[in-house]
Amino acid sequence: MGTIALGGQIRYHRGPSFPGPACFVTDISHIRNFSIIAHIDHGKSTLADRFIQVCGGLSERELKEQVLDSMDLERERGITIKAQSVTLYYKARNGETYQLNFIDTPGHVDFSYEVSRSLSACEGALLVVDAAQGVEAQSVANCYTAIEQDLEVLPVLNKIDLPQVEPERVIQEIEEIIGLDAHDACRVSAKTGLGIEDLLEQLVERIPAPTGERDGKLQALIIDSWFDNYLGVVSLVRVTQGRLKKGDKILVKSTGQSHSVDLLGVFTPKRTERTVLEAGEVGWISASIKEILGAPVGDTLTHSKTPEVEALPGFKKVKPQVYAGMFPVSADDYENFRDALSKLALNDASLFYEPETSDALGFGFRVGFLGMLHMEIIQERLEREYDLDLITTAPTVVYELLLVDGTVLHVDNPSKLPESSKVEEFREPIARVNILVPQDYVGSVITLAVERRGVQKNMQYLGKQVALTYDIPMAEVVLDFFDKLKSCSRGYASLDYSFDRFEPAKLVRVDVLINGERVDALAMICHADQAMYRGRVLVEKMKDLVPRQMFDVAIQAAIGSKIIARQTVKALRKNVIAKCYGGDVSRKKKLLEKQKAGKKRMKQVGSVEIPQEAFLAVLKVSD
Amino acid sequence: MSLALPPLALYIHLPWCVRKCPYCDFNSHERDGALPETAYLAALRQDLDEELPDAQGRPVVSLFFGGGTPSLLSPDFYAELLGMLRTRLRFAEQVEITLEANPGTVEQQRFEGFRRAGINRLSLGIQSFNDRHLRALGRIHGSREAIRAAEQARAAGFDNLNLDLMHALPDQQQDEALADLAQAIALSPAHISWYELTIEPNTAFYRAPPRQPDNDAMADTEAAGFAQLAEAGYRRYEVSAFARDGRQCRHNLNYWTFGDYLALGAGAHGKVTRPDHGTILRYRKTRLPTHYLAEGGQRRLDSQDIAAAERPLEYLLNALRLVEGVDEDLFTERTGLPLTALEPALTTLRRDGLITPGRLACTDTGLRFLNRVLGTFQP
Repeated sequence: MGTIALGGQIRYHRGPSFPGPACFVTDISHIRNFSIIAHIDHGKSTLADRFIQVCGGLSERELKEQVLDSMDLERERGITIKAQSVTLYYKARNGETYQLNFIDTPGHVDFSYEVSRSLSACEGALLVVDAAQGVEAQSVANCYTAIEQDLEVLPVLNKIDLPQVEPERVIQEIEEIIGLDAHDACRVSAKTGLGIEDLLEQLVERIPAPTGERDGKLQALIIDSWFDNYLGVVSLVRVTQGRLKKGDKILVKSTGQSHSVDLLGVFTPKRTERTVLEAGEVGWISASIKEILGAPVGDTLTHSKTPEVEALPGFKKVKPQVYAGMFPVSADDYENFRDALSKLALNDASLFYEPETSDALGFGFRVGFLGMLHMEIIQERLEREYDLDLITTAPTVVYELLLVDGTVLHVDNPSKLPESSKVEEFREPIARVNILVPQDYVGSVITLAVERRGVQKNMQYLGKQVALTYDIPMAEVVLDFFDKLKSCSRGYASLDYSFDRFEPAKLVRVDVLINGERVDALAMICHADQAMYRGRVLVEKMKDLVPRQMFDVAIQAAIGSKIIARQTVKALRKNVIAKCYGGDVSRKKKLLEKQKAGKKRMKQVGSVEIPQEAFLAVLKVSD
Repeated sequence: MSLALPPLALYIHLPWCVRKCPYCDFNSHERDGALPETAYLAALRQDLDEELPDAQGRPVVSLFFGGGTPSLLSPDFYAELLGMLRTRLRFAEQVEITLEANPGTVEQQRFEGFRRAGINRLSLGIQSFNDRHLRALGRIHGSREAIRAAEQARAAGFDNLNLDLMHALPDQQQDEALADLAQAIALSPAHISWYELTIEPNTAFYRAPPRQPDNDAMADTEAAGFAQLAEAGYRRYEVSAFARDGRQCRHNLNYWTFGDYLALGAGAHGKVTRPDHGTILRYRKTRLPTHYLAEGGQRRLDSQDIAAAERPLEYLLNALRLVEGVDEDLFTERTGLPLTALEPALTTLRRDGLITPGRLACTDTGLRFLNRVLGTFQP
């Protein structure tokens, strides 16, 4: 170890720490804590790498592309999921050395809640905008969050080296859409390094230093916590007051538990040990907290001898927007699955889970997610990092029901929908959707919004972009709206949405029957007007996804007792290795191994084997 | 209830070919000039001397010269090889000695030579009688050579003759597959092997897969072919083997009943039971002819006991290919395990009608879904 571990499932800050300069104290006036707000692909990670390089945080050999996206998944998908931090020392033109603490933020619409968390540790933010593409809706939303949190926001025009840039137009957009003065925005190219030092100068000059009494009582905010196999719980903290030293006895305010700080330090971006974190600084601590809920994100730390110190305002709890059942393929994995979920939930406040039992799939969990990307990422992490084989059922939004007896019920699982005779009113969640799109594509975006039962609330021309506001049923937004929006606008449209309200709607449950038996895990809730069509398309899709078996498999869609669609998967005629391999059994065994691997993501429902894809077929129905 | 010493066969691999076929994943190497017959004989002799203790005094019930293209080697080579084998091993009275031959590499005289050398069964790799399909398979012979080879083999005295045929060939229609069978039957061999073309990894076909009939078409062709063969007096006794009465291939029967076999030659696979140790060893011989020929090199590789957990699958992988299956008692004799080692899968499969009661044999349906049946015994 000693360099950043990029392979496997290792976050770079795992593994042994590096002994760092122990008595390197930066005056609080020389600290700058900042985040970067940027849309995906607008160059945030490249800019971060460039900062690290300019400030000498890593040697040439160690500087790999985009070091901050440290999970495999983040790297593969080119997105940031979790907050990370890096402490850098910048020698400014005035001769002074400044400590820059950069707290990374996620860029995808699903993870906006992480943004406000990162921002709460900062005094400033860089709004990085692609000088060719202009402002995007997600950045607008994040920028508003920063402004609400009283951060100094510096607009930055990136990719200025590209031939097709239009800085003047983009400056106008920033001013008109966000209302931020952008006339002296730094023009940089993170790729070539152009303008980076000017940007660092502006950052030092304009972002305020943190405040906080270093000789006061300790008060620190937990920005993030994660589980490290060697150290137990590791937390990223911002010290707002006092100082935190190695060996200190600390108190976690919400739990009332005391722990002893074993190790602390900063990321440079290597995990580097220190002996003290002073007010204004951002760093990591490890206090042998073994239990996963021992260091809740958003909680406050103080010394155990100063329990009177007040808790800092935590973070807004975010509610999941989609729910899906997740079931281990092998029932033996249930406990491991529970353990894995609890570890992931430690630093993912939005991940919700509770036990669920399905007639078809056995014991599993109902898991709530912020959106589809969040769901995919969680599923992939569970499978890769915890080596679980899971079946995920089709995601659904939360519906509200007014029952005949006057009670109000929230349903996040189609199979739990009460009989319609007991329901006075069905209500579906409506999202307020903000879209920014170049004028050329506004027609196709409007068509899409109408197809998704959207109601236009506002439309405004801002420079070359159009800002559209729609109310669209959440169910129509969360599943694939983002992808469709991208494809009908050649990737230019951007999106931000949030839950707005529940509204009465005609809803029905469509059941799926396999060889005559209702499979609870395949049921879906949809609008009554679409039920016939969706049921028909669903069984057609499923027919292609369910492999042929030893017998015919009938797939039916039904509303109540009425069958609305039927397809048959014809029986397979034979499945046998005809070739005789003589005395070499290894190849025959390999063929059987392959067959076995193919069954990994299959679940036996009755006597029928159903693959993972078939459970998600409902997602393909709206294509 | 313990491991017994099973019958013993001997497999000898001859690893050279004129040209590698695009579907073949056996250990074969294109011939480069004259074959090193003398050196190979010497290597086989050394190899055998190391194998001999594992014969454990048993007579050899069958010898099989497989390849590659064994018919590329001369009759004199086989005369000498068999002479050498007879001085070291006891041959059973009705010993079966099979040679695989390629129709493109033989003529009347050569067949007679093989016969004189002591070979008493010939397996001709015909594959198809259709020139278009033979070309697609990269074979070096045409349909006329195929027919002539069968006739000449017969004329040379080989009454125990097998013809290897394949179906599900690239773009093959059902009538073409059945015409191949009709031609084979017309040549009146003792035995016909008829199996579908399987695309194996590490072959030219794997890299550029040809278009084959789909599962339904294959099943239709098979059903029609089985009827045609039965009509002509060829009884199906294994997944893809058909024989006239008393003409089943003893060598393959030995594999399918989990008998032992010593392996000689580059890339050959062997299996040896050692009842005193309770072990069943599998091993292979080094693949490359140059390594095999090297003096004093390590020839036997990867010698490993088949773990108890693996034995049920290994046994059934073979035994359930037989249409009649095997007696339940044989399982214990050959694996050293009680019959209960097959539970709970066996009971389930019998309940589902895939395995017959009282015997380890597939039902008709079970045989059609043999991969699925075997899958349930995977450890």
